[in-house]
Amino acid sequence: MKKVITGDHAVAIGAKLCRVEVVPAFPITPQTLIIEHIADFVNDGELDAKFLTMESEHSVMSAAAAASAAGARVFTATSSQGLAFMHEMLYATAPLRLPVVMANASRTLGGPPGIWCEYNDSMGARDSGWLQLYVEDNQEALDMVIQSFRIAEDKRVLLPVMPCLDGFVLTHTVEPVDVPEQAEVDSFLLPYEPDIILDPKRPAMIGTFMPSEYIMELRRQTAGAFESAKEVIQQINSEFAQKFGRDYGGLIDTYMMEDASTALITMGTVTSTAREVVDELRQKGEKVGIIKLRFFRPFPSYELKKAVSYINALGVFDRSISYHGGGPVYNEVRSSLFGMKIPVINHLAGIGGRDVTTKQIMKMFELTQKAANGEKVSDVYWHNTRGETV
Amino acid sequence: MAAQTLAEAAVNEGNYAVAFPFFGAERRGAPVLAFTRIDSKKIFSKTQVYAPDCVVVLDDSLLDTIDVVAGLKPQGMAIINSKEKPEDIDLGKIIKTATVNATSIALEILKAPITNTAILGAFAKATGIIRIESLEESIKEKFGEKLGAKVGERNALAARTAYERTITGKSRGVKKLEARKQWLPTHQEIPVGGALIEGKTDAGLIGPGSFIENKVSGWATYRPLRDRAKCTMCLLCWFYCPEGTIHRISDRGDLMTNYDYCKGCGVCANECPVDAIKMVRARA
Amino acid sequence: MITIKELSDDNLFTAGHTACPGCGVAMSIRNAIRVLGKDTVIYVPASCAVVFGTTFPYGAWKVPFFHTAFENTGACLSGMQAAFEKKGKKVTAVGFAGDGGTYDIGLQSMSGAAERNDDVLYICLDNEAYMNTGIQRSGGTPFGAWTTTTPVGKVIQGNRRFKKNLGDIVAAHEIPYYATLSIGHPLDFIRKVEKAKNIRGFRFLHMFTPCIPGWKMDPAKTVEVTKRAVESGMWTLYEIENGEKRITHKPGKMKSVKDYLMMQGRFRHMSEEDIKKLQMWVCRKWNLHYKEKGAPEVCEIPQFEEHHAVTEEHREMHGP
Ligand SMILES: Cc1ncc(C[n+]2csc(CCOP(=O)(O)OP(=O)(O)O)c2C)c(N)n1
Ligand code: SF4
Ligand code: SF4
Ligand code: SF4
Ligand SMILES: [Mg+2]
Repeated sequence: MKKVITGDHAVAIGAKLCRVEVVPAFPITPQTLIIEHIADFVNDGELDAKFLTMESEHSVMSAAAAASAAGARVFTATSSQGLAFMHEMLYATAPLRLPVVMANASRTLGGPPGIWCEYNDSMGARDSGWLQLYVEDNQEALDMVIQSFRIAEDKRVLLPVMPCLDGFVLTHTVEPVDVPEQAEVDSFLLPYEPDIILDPKRPAMIGTFMPSEYIMELRRQTAGAFESAKEVIQQINSEFAQKFGRDYGGLIDTYMMEDASTALITMGTVTSTAREVVDELRQKGEKVGIIKLRFFRPFPSYELKKAVSYINALGVFDRSISYHGGGPVYNEVRSSLFGMKIPVINHLAGIGGRDVTTKQIMKMFELTQKAANGEKVSDVYWHNTRGETV
Repeated sequence: MAAQTLAEAAVNEGNYAVAFPFFGAERRGAPVLAFTRIDSKKIFSKTQVYAPDCVVVLDDSLLDTIDVVAGLKPQGMAIINSKEKPEDIDLGKIIKTATVNATSIALEILKAPITNTAILGAFAKATGIIRIESLEESIKEKFGEKLGAKVGERNALAARTAYERTITGKSRGVKKLEARKQWLPTHQEIPVGGALIEGKTDAGLIGPGSFIENKVSGWATYRPLRDRAKCTMCLLCWFYCPEGTIHRISDRGDLMTNYDYCKGCGVCANECPVDAIKMVRARA
Repeated sequence: MITIKELSDDNLFTAGHTACPGCGVAMSIRNAIRVLGKDTVIYVPASCAVVFGTTFPYGAWKVPFFHTAFENTGACLSGMQAAFEKKGKKVTAVGFAGDGGTYDIGLQSMSGAAERNDDVLYICLDNEAYMNTGIQRSGGTPFGAWTTTTPVGKVIQGNRRFKKNLGDIVAAHEIPYYATLSIGHPLDFIRKVEKAKNIRGFRFLHMFTPCIPGWKMDPAKTVEVTKRAVESGMWTLYEIENGEKRITHKPGKMKSVKDYLMMQGRFRHMSEEDIKKLQMWVCRKWNLHYKEKGAPEVCEIPQFEEHHAVTEEHREMHGP
């Protein structure tokens, strides 16, 4: 069924279709619509879930972890300051292998406070043990909530998943979304059946104090689950494509990369705009393409390497700064491509929610192409930033 | 505390020394481990000590359960708080050994079974690594600073007394001590997320209720003796025992104390309304 | 009502745990779980109890155990209870949190669960300081007490604030049941745990749990010290059920707080003046709880008169 809805609404519908059982919640712009919609579903009897109005995000993630450990399918959503506030608990859910799904409405993590899109909130959680993915439109937001539960609950993975959607650009923007049938989702996503839960019939200890003789192995095990996740993500993407007719490419997606000589790595909604820019540049005969980084964790090093093997220069879009000179994505990409002789240029843009325009994306391609032609360029560009040159 | 005091004394003599505890999780009374390294030049190594020149044992009941000299260098020495002579101590191999009854010295001088200053006196005597005078100085300084000059002096006296009463010789080497088995799963074997249900490994039980693998009797300085004739079976000791080591034998209407888990706290004796329980030294 | 004799023999918190000899926390946990029984799921936040009760791969708990962090007992209980309800399981979700985890860092999370009236049992094991990190002051530390962050210095001696009135804070949430307990009063203890188990909604049991190194006391005196606390009025045994407050044990003649203080090294440095201040506080509490003046020989200080002028002493006790 086609519906014209916001990204937040799409996420809420996605969660409902997954028949989530416990939803602890706390409001923060621009995530608020998600939990409001879920509250409506519950109070209207459309969703049989326990909706908990917690008193903070720290408590949201605490309740989420506990409910998950007790065997429930748990969903929640947050953003920026809220994500930061629950930071400690992100580190509790992942190593305990609790497959919670939490949407993050990407937003500036202040100070100074701002409510618009930036990735410095989720990037700060990149090593907490959560899988992270970034969507480009409302349809993908809905679809990825469903896929997230499949990935999270897969016995080879058993890790929490954080689908991120751009604050306002998606959360508060309506566009047509094809809402899948409940029956179809039910056959794609079976009820959650964990092995060990908090149950007096079979007592377990979860989260015990752990001496150094064991923690290293536990971390290694979690790292292994991230490796397995790569395969699982691809597999579930294909299965989803078959069932629902929408193929997102798995860890990364590519556009016009077959014969591209210059490429730009994008994330989130900038991918969407960049598609139009590529079309325009292609009409002018320029061989450009995009690689959409869908999953930031696990990081698709192998897939990236393969995708860039024939190109001459690579641009990397970053929506946050990592204070090593460039953005976090740039850092990861460069180390993934270590040993390959491709110039990699970092394009910082859209920070604090500043609009990323087609003109800026054009400029990103232009600078990257210069590098491809062997011209001298900088490593890092701050786009549309007063006092900078581009 | 002993390890730190020793390091301070060594530094006062113009050496370089580091001391650090093994950061264990157990509470007061549980066996603990501490290390001291002494050298004439700066020590850079930040690892634990695996092959010491000298092992100091403050509680000889550990000798029954732990191979305390497992890593000791062949020429190394063991210093043990014990009322026995070195020849009567079986360490599983014949090595240089010094003994001193630090517990009775501590009870005598400090009025508490706190042996860590006394044992340092034995260390000074047996190894000669440090002079007893430097040790006395450091003890006075360290304890005096926090607990007052009197306490400092009494502790220094404990060290001096131990110094004088230390006997050196060689241990026996008869018994075979097996290292306590430990379950050490690989990352493939460790249960997902570290979640454990009741289980059994080669090294014993794991998971819920498995702490019974941990015999804590070594913590006890005293242990309770119950006079059956006096006992009225009011069950207060059974209720209060924080360890749960007093059991009801329902069919005989009696109680039984499993000393494996008694830490010798004395609560049962203190609370018994008819004074049926007496605390006695766990080891003479 | 269960008596000691009728208590279960099940060791749901087994021997071999690593609490200090004589630990009042271990003693209280053991007996609480004896009453609560098998159909219980435990949450323990960061505290002594999390360490001495579980150290991977060992554990003393024979009922399901969960731990994640320090400040979230209320939220974790709410979360697990929601899952149990959704799955139709009849399980008592029980949290065993320290005073630090309740008075201070976990206050917000506890308040959330209380205000939502979630059907969980919150137990505060009040040993009056952060013991797991080596005896630092908490909001539950009494006036005068030495801790490592309220040392007995040359200028300032011990904790300068009075113990936070947690009972009133919890009760202000208008929850079905709040009670104070002491391990030295077994029948009262057992009755309250049993009662809390059978009430629905948010229940709070506030247990007074001596700590051997933290209170610098003889391990044999764990129980005795709780009795003296009650006899002196430092700890009062009462319950608030649906807003109705009831004293469950009124000691006979009030004993001087000094008897209680002198058993513990943490108070031994206290000046006569500080002891008097604390005695005043206790007398006031005694009056409040038992609706009578404390023993005249210890409560002769005119604290029951209306104070209009704010004295220095007053300011210290009640804030400006
Ligand atoms: C967020 C956070 N801050 C600090 C700590 C360190 N910490 C662990 S336990 C503890 C004290 C616990 O005190 P309390 O709650 O009174 O329990 P007790 O150990 O006294 O029983 C502290 C400060 C922590 N684990 N987490
Ligand atoms: S001395 Fe303490 S641990 Fe031993 S039986 Fe008595 S109460 Fe239990
Ligand atoms: S407390 Fe004393 S009288 Fe009561 S059961 Fe124990 S030994 Fe017997
Ligand atoms: S430090 Fe105190 S609370 Fe902690 S285990 Fe020891 S006695 Fe119990
Ligand atoms: Mg405490």
